[in-house]
Amino acid sequence: MNIPENLLYTDEHEWISVDGDTGRIGITDYAQHHLGDIVFVELPEVGESFAMRDAVGVIESVKAVVSLYTPASGTILEVNEELEDSPELLNEAPYDSWIAAIKLGDKNDLNKLMNAEAYAAFCQNLED
Amino acid sequence: MIEIINNSHDPYFNLALEEYAVINLPDTQNYFILWQNQPTIVVGRNQNTIEEINSRYIEEHDIKVVRRMSGGGAVYHDLGNLNFTFVVNENKDFTNFTKFTRPVIKALNRIGIPAENNGRNDITIGGRKFSGNAQFKYKQRLMHHGTILFNSQLEDMVQALNPSTEKISSKGIKSVRSRVTNISEHLSSPLSIEEFKQILTEEVLHEETNNDTYDLSDYDLKIINNLRNNKYSTWNWIYGASPAYNIKKTGNFDWGNIDIRLEIKHGLIKSCRIYGDYFSAHDIAELESGLVGTRYHEADIKERLTELELLRYLPQTDENQITQLLFY
Repeated sequence: MNIPENLLYTDEHEWISVDGDTGRIGITDYAQHHLGDIVFVELPEVGESFAMRDAVGVIESVKAVVSLYTPASGTILEVNEELEDSPELLNEAPYDSWIAAIKLGDKNDLNKLMNAEAYAAFCQNLED
Repeated sequence: MIEIINNSHDPYFNLALEEYAVINLPDTQNYFILWQNQPTIVVGRNQNTIEEINSRYIEEHDIKVVRRMSGGGAVYHDLGNLNFTFVVNENKDFTNFTKFTRPVIKALNRIGIPAENNGRNDITIGGRKFSGNAQFKYKQRLMHHGTILFNSQLEDMVQALNPSTEKISSKGIKSVRSRVTNISEHLSSPLSIEEFKQILTEEVLHEETNNDTYDLSDYDLKIINNLRNNKYSTWNWIYGASPAYNIKKTGNFDWGNIDIRLEIKHGLIKSCRIYGDYFSAHDIAELESGLVGTRYHEADIKERLTELELLRYLPQTDENQITQLLFY
């Protein structure tokens, strides 16, 4: 299970990378593995604002439909439209395939997320 | 396992109940629901509705259309079809589908019919599908539901799911056609759908503990009906929640040939181009831009065409001719 050091994680298996006031969000290797082949991604609209843990998108795999919850509050700056044509990128490269970029509304949100070590332990616990 | 008693045949209510059971009912319990719809097409969460239905047929036969929370393709329900729903806690992994399809297979075995899981989503009898299954996950709750063809009108199914609309392109999920069968075709002695419901319920509860039944309270019904009225029965959810798509319609009329191309997003016309060899007294670009922002809905487009004075651009047509071309 690949869990990069430089990201923060939620217990719903989303990741966020932070650069200044901007966060990029995606789903983890654990999430894509358990979802199976991803066949559709519904992206948020640029300019939409969300509270922390609001559903910002929908992911459909061959197994199930799940919501994507934003790890932090903020306003959508950009979405990865490539995923509309190629949702399988979330399976192939989950940490390269960011879903949306968000202007962070409150950086304190990040304190509530897990670092790589804590997330690795969290996943380990689920597998046991 | 709590069995929720639901005798409604209203598809909008029934889909709202499922959402309510997943999101609102206490997660200290697991739930099981058996339910039926009056004739209805149920499309998957990320399907483009008009790409899946035969609009004329469903209108003539009073077949409802509704969008569900789970993924996959469009299915046809009527009172010969039985639906089952499980709502359980699942915080580890997506459960193997077989945990939920096992009681269905056992119920069939009990009435002397061999059945098998086929692929991840289907249950088949002799290779022919009678049950399609899908899942929706909300935080730590998992909903698994499936259809069971008992004695459905398969001819209506084929007609209703045969879209007449040409040339739509979208990134939505496409339905896959399967060879289907009704359980009733395989029965050696008569059995009603009510009797089958009883057998299936026994098989489900046999594997569970702390079983009980639950009648929806007035409070439950109030919230479910609210969800029904404000989400599941609305055009915005049934049609408007479709993925973006493009539509191309061509018509040959005595006044000329016309080719209309529309881009639809969130159910609204995002762009419009009209080509043809018709005679137009005014610049057709005004009509094109005037349609932008209108809901892609028959009555709305008709009204908008009247407001835009369609006849100034296409003197020999009328609103009905254009909406017939677009929607049927």
